[in-house]
Amino acid sequence: MSEPATYLLERSRIESAHTMEVARKHGAYRGIEKVLREGWTPEQLIEEVKDSGLRGRGGAGFPTGLKWSFMPNRAKDPRKRYLAVNADESEPGTCKDRILMECDPHGLIEGILLAAYAMGTEVAYVYVRGEYRLPYQRLSNAVDEARAAGLVGQGIGGTDFACEIWMHKGAGAYICGEETGLMESLEGKRGHPRPKPPFPAGLGLWGQPTTVNNVESLFNVPFIVDRGAHWFRTMGTEKSPGNILVGVSGHIEKPGVFEVPLGMSAKQILEEYAGGIWKGRALKAWFPGGSSTGLLPASMIDLPMDHDSLKEAGSMLGTASMIMLDETACVVRAMEVIARFYDHESCGQCSQCREGTEWLHQIFGRIEAGNGRQEDIELLSSLASGMAPGKTICALADAAAIPTHAVVRHFRTDLEEHVRLGGCPSAGATQETVGAAG
Amino acid sequence: MIEITIDGRKVEVDPKQPLVRACHEHASDVPTYCYHPGLSPVGSCRICQVEVQQGNGPPRVVVACRTPVAEGMVVNTQAPGACDARRECLEFLLKNHPLDCPICDKAGECDLQDYSFAEGQTEGRSVEPRRKLEKRKSLGDVIVLDQERCILCSRCVRFFEEVTEKPQLTVSDMGARSVISTFADRPLQGNYQGNVADICPVGALTLKEFRFQARVWNLRKSFSTCGECSRGCAITVEVLRGKDVKRVRPRYSPEVNQWWMCDTGRFALEPYEGERAPAALMRGNEGLVAGDPVQATALAAQLVSLHAPGAVIASPWVTVEEGELLLDFARRVGAPAWFVSPAANGLKDDLLHTGDPCPNRRGLLELGFEARTAAEILTALPDMDTAVLVGERVVELIGEADLDALSSAVRLVALEARPPQVQGIVACLGVPSAVERVGTWVNVDGHRGTIAASRAAALGVPPTTQTIQNLIDALAPAEVEA
Repeated sequence: MSEPATYLLERSRIESAHTMEVARKHGAYRGIEKVLREGWTPEQLIEEVKDSGLRGRGGAGFPTGLKWSFMPNRAKDPRKRYLAVNADESEPGTCKDRILMECDPHGLIEGILLAAYAMGTEVAYVYVRGEYRLPYQRLSNAVDEARAAGLVGQGIGGTDFACEIWMHKGAGAYICGEETGLMESLEGKRGHPRPKPPFPAGLGLWGQPTTVNNVESLFNVPFIVDRGAHWFRTMGTEKSPGNILVGVSGHIEKPGVFEVPLGMSAKQILEEYAGGIWKGRALKAWFPGGSSTGLLPASMIDLPMDHDSLKEAGSMLGTASMIMLDETACVVRAMEVIARFYDHESCGQCSQCREGTEWLHQIFGRIEAGNGRQEDIELLSSLASGMAPGKTICALADAAAIPTHAVVRHFRTDLEEHVRLGGCPSAGATQETVGAAG
Repeated sequence: MIEITIDGRKVEVDPKQPLVRACHEHASDVPTYCYHPGLSPVGSCRICQVEVQQGNGPPRVVVACRTPVAEGMVVNTQAPGACDARRECLEFLLKNHPLDCPICDKAGECDLQDYSFAEGQTEGRSVEPRRKLEKRKSLGDVIVLDQERCILCSRCVRFFEEVTEKPQLTVSDMGARSVISTFADRPLQGNYQGNVADICPVGALTLKEFRFQARVWNLRKSFSTCGECSRGCAITVEVLRGKDVKRVRPRYSPEVNQWWMCDTGRFALEPYEGERAPAALMRGNEGLVAGDPVQATALAAQLVSLHAPGAVIASPWVTVEEGELLLDFARRVGAPAWFVSPAANGLKDDLLHTGDPCPNRRGLLELGFEARTAAEILTALPDMDTAVLVGERVVELIGEADLDALSSAVRLVALEARPPQVQGIVACLGVPSAVERVGTWVNVDGHRGTIAASRAAALGVPPTTQTIQNLIDALAPAEVEA
């Protein structure tokens, strides 16, 4: 197979790339140095990122440059502004940001500096998932190293550019990965998402203009600056340019995080990178981008992994974390696990989400346990329609509703079989439940 | 003001208010649970969804409490999409809500019950067991929480955060396990706890005092004014079977108390426990005995005609209307008009309570009454031949025992709501209490609050104004000319 060009994981493969010395030797901070040396204007930097077509890697796929441009004009709005880095990677099946923070923290710091330069945020908070001890440690050490080298703090690179980076550890709530929940949590409150509008760019952290970016999104920026938007567009697709980190987990031979251009088919990723389905078995079902994206049948494994193709197929790219289930797996059991996750992680503000996630969990549990009724299948669809889309403050209800709709659409026979047999056909068999470990 | 269209009608609305307010003000009935006009909108219950169209954009279903109004906005509260969204939301809210209505104090004034009834969804689709939580968790001396009924609207949480500015309640745990609680289960504190039972849209927070006391549809409600301090909060007095005041609740008044009232006022349901003064009492050989009001009035008039009173002393509960007549009376008998002014009672706070227990201080001062403390009155009385005491609580406020100790140093005529145990009283005419008469009190800021007769006074006890008028009429005509 011909390896496509990679850049995201290049340094990560090098020994001790988490240290300043090695990272700099391999190109870290070239982007920010270029911007400072050539005296780019913030607008110029935002334009470059816009031109690159970079889309956020946190799940929603919103264009990063456009998001940055929503920050109010500094001349008209002198308020202090913040950057919050979403490193609360909690989507079940997802572990890409972890690799970046563990193996190449200086790459993220450079991304933060460039974002700060573009938006004029003098303070950046990195909200790290609480369970990520090593990534937190590596990133903290890297920030200290960068500060010692004059790359974080006041007067960066001898200019008047200033950016302070503060680390924050989450306490284990999925909902704190939602950008407004994250802001509430950073402010020391319960991680209850805020209704939008107002949007963070207008009223974010402590009521100030704020942008929340995912780790991988920021990580792409130094490369765009260093090599140009045009170079970035040579990879990926027209509407989803660049490479993306795909975490493949589940019933496969070689689980891992792989860097592929956007638009590569899921089948190719599964076979050429993840070693195919394990034990010579066949694929039954797969999640293209974490548990919040719609479960797809094996017949759709040819789909290209990019935002628009998956959206057309009724699913989502999400965090591009493929969870693969082999032919012995029970999708109803998988959905019960996932529904339990959303039931457990709903913040409880919105009626539909608080009650709906619990209800879905109860119904999937009943069907799996053999107490399902035929009408439960329609009820699942109907409840999922009552919860989403866009009916609640944040997208957690959507995240529970999307896989529910998908399982009814693509795996109705499995549900019906459970109801008819009064139990799980594969009950008793060793269930190798993987993927939804959160 | 800007113009928007609500359900086909063009209306003028305040651009600073959320859309839900405009809907309510223009008779479009959008249900709300988490939204309360006195609290910040959080948009979490999602029940107030309506369809909105702006410009050439497609119609969208939005929560009305978090949507600002905009010029030209077209709102359809009855659009199928909006109705469906509300119905779905209601179904989720009802999924774990107990079928408690027959024993719930909120039944009859419950927003969830009302909307369920209006929607007509008689059967649930859930076969799951309902959530089991604490049914009677005490939150202090005033409030009981039923966690099963709670729909987590967080109005109570925001009330303490935003109105009293002393946060006491929070939502603890998350998701379907969320419950309202105080930190470390501490009891609620402060003088404003009762308000959370009013704003609770369901029967989750109820008043211990009112628990199982009455079905709300049996309560006769009248609009009145609280007399516990000079704030004069607008209230609703709720009376069961024309007799017992079962509940007092705040009534919205933009100038005075908005939606709130203090617990002191709320629980001052019956200021007079025990005996009430009959229409007339006259002193005979066996002390004060019930008599004929006409005779008692004549006796009182004769006494003050022959022995000019040293003062006419009003209770601070006397209304403006009663005060005017009383001034007329005082002028005719040539006496100064005072009112008893008790000291501040230490209940003053930053929110509503003024600490001044005189509901009509300002009204009486404006009429020309002079304030006198009980001590000043007690010092002055022995030098007087006679004196006239008028209004509920007047004897109590001057000091019943102290008045009694004056013995026959001064002969007194009293218009009281309770039979006074005071030796000096020659004649006493019964008057109605604040919940039995109508009139006006002027509060500390000059706002005129109306008190209403929420129930009938005792048999034969006329309004105070009539009693004073009868006294005036009974004075000798020569005095009138003078």
